[in-house]
Amino acid sequence: MILELDSISFAYPDGASLFEHVDLSLEAKEFLLIRGPSGTGKSTLLRLLCRLEEPTEGTLRFDGIPYADMPPAELRRHVAYVQQTPTLMDGTVRDNLRTPFTFKANKALVSPDDPTLQQYLNDYLLSGVSLDMEAKQLSVGQAQRVCLIRSQLLSPRILLMDEPTSALDPDSAAVVLETARRLRNEGMTILMISHSETTPDGVTGFLKIGGKTVERS
Amino acid sequence: MNTVIDIGPVQLVLCLVFVLAAGGASLAHNLGLGKDLAVGTVRTFAQLFLMGYVLKFVFKLNMAAPVLGVFLLMVAAATQIIHSRVKQRTVPFLLPTFLSMFISYSVISYLVVGVIVGAAPWWSPQYFIPLAGMIVGNSMTAIAVSLERLFSELKSKHAEVEMRLVLGATPEEASREIVADAVRAGMIPSINSLMGVGIVFLPGMMTGQILAGADPLVSIRYQIVVMLMLVAATAIGSVLVVGLVRRRCFGKAHQPLVR
Repeated sequence: MILELDSISFAYPDGASLFEHVDLSLEAKEFLLIRGPSGTGKSTLLRLLCRLEEPTEGTLRFDGIPYADMPPAELRRHVAYVQQTPTLMDGTVRDNLRTPFTFKANKALVSPDDPTLQQYLNDYLLSGVSLDMEAKQLSVGQAQRVCLIRSQLLSPRILLMDEPTSALDPDSAAVVLETARRLRNEGMTILMISHSETTPDGVTGFLKIGGKTVERS
Repeated sequence: MNTVIDIGPVQLVLCLVFVLAAGGASLAHNLGLGKDLAVGTVRTFAQLFLMGYVLKFVFKLNMAAPVLGVFLLMVAAATQIIHSRVKQRTVPFLLPTFLSMFISYSVISYLVVGVIVGAAPWWSPQYFIPLAGMIVGNSMTAIAVSLERLFSELKSKHAEVEMRLVLGATPEEASREIVADAVRAGMIPSINSLMGVGIVFLPGMMTGQILAGADPLVSIRYQIVVMLMLVAATAIGSVLVVGLVRRRCFGKAHQPLVR
């Protein structure tokens, strides 16, 4: 099992409970869509998986290792999270794509060269975006795809995507979904929140959230 | 040199005219500051008279322990004022604030009184208490500004901090720019005052010494020492407090606690 949730509960600081004793096991190379009504905890589930939130009870394991036994930066190198609102820092597109390689936890990874970065941009239908362009000038849809590339470059084993296509036009959304399918075929595990009724190709299952629990189907 | 002209009780009471003038302005413009003005005036009289008697007593004793006790009390009071001014309750910052102020101010006060001024003993109350008091009073604002900036930036740049964390940054890497901004914000006023001193304003210590009959050239030397020690105290205090409090802004999973 690549991910295990063992009796996970989560409550907000004011005491309001969101999850109660959730048990879940995820195999590697799955492509799961997360669905559920608003406010039931879809984003919180992803945030728990990358430790941006801590459960009030229970144990999470990555590859059998309890989260508490792994340095958080090391875990996040394997479990990448793409935020719902694309967030870029000041600087060029190149700066944004290379910044993660300046962090201590990623020092062992080789920072990609310009042709590689440009190829990624082209693959995501961003051939009009130059590496020298100021990242904050990108449209929301373009920024979303740059954020996806930035996470992908770290070669994580699990990719958590919070509504990655919500700000995209149909063509760009199709590219993102096709990339997710391809990454899963290459061995990555994908968990994606989606409000869309249609099921993208390559999806291997669903996580339905509601009633303070998570069910597989 | 002239002897000091004493201010008697009648003159002090006369000064209340200034407060009445301020109160009148508040009434005329419906500012609602009358109560604060009255409480502030009473506190000014009470606190300063109390401090005057305490200092007189401590000067008379001429022992290290009471001098350091007064210093400790000043730092504790400054910590409490900062705590009430900075509106952030998710992250406990009282103890780190006290510790950073105590450490930085002790070192600077000792260096100024014992080494630069060369007073013997180094805790000599006549020198240690006023100089340490100026350090505490002046850099207290800088520490409060630094902390306010730290918390407000962690809040407003929350998404950016999280983005760096999920890409593998440590809390230190994720908040490096915010920490630098917070320290800079605290230090700027003391650096600005280096530019304006002697031209735009005459500082309190220098004015006080001149009023007390000291040679203006001696006063300016003291003032130069004071200005430079304040820059150092502000810098060391801000760096220490922001560094210590920043650690508390992230949980054990390196997740941000200020949102």
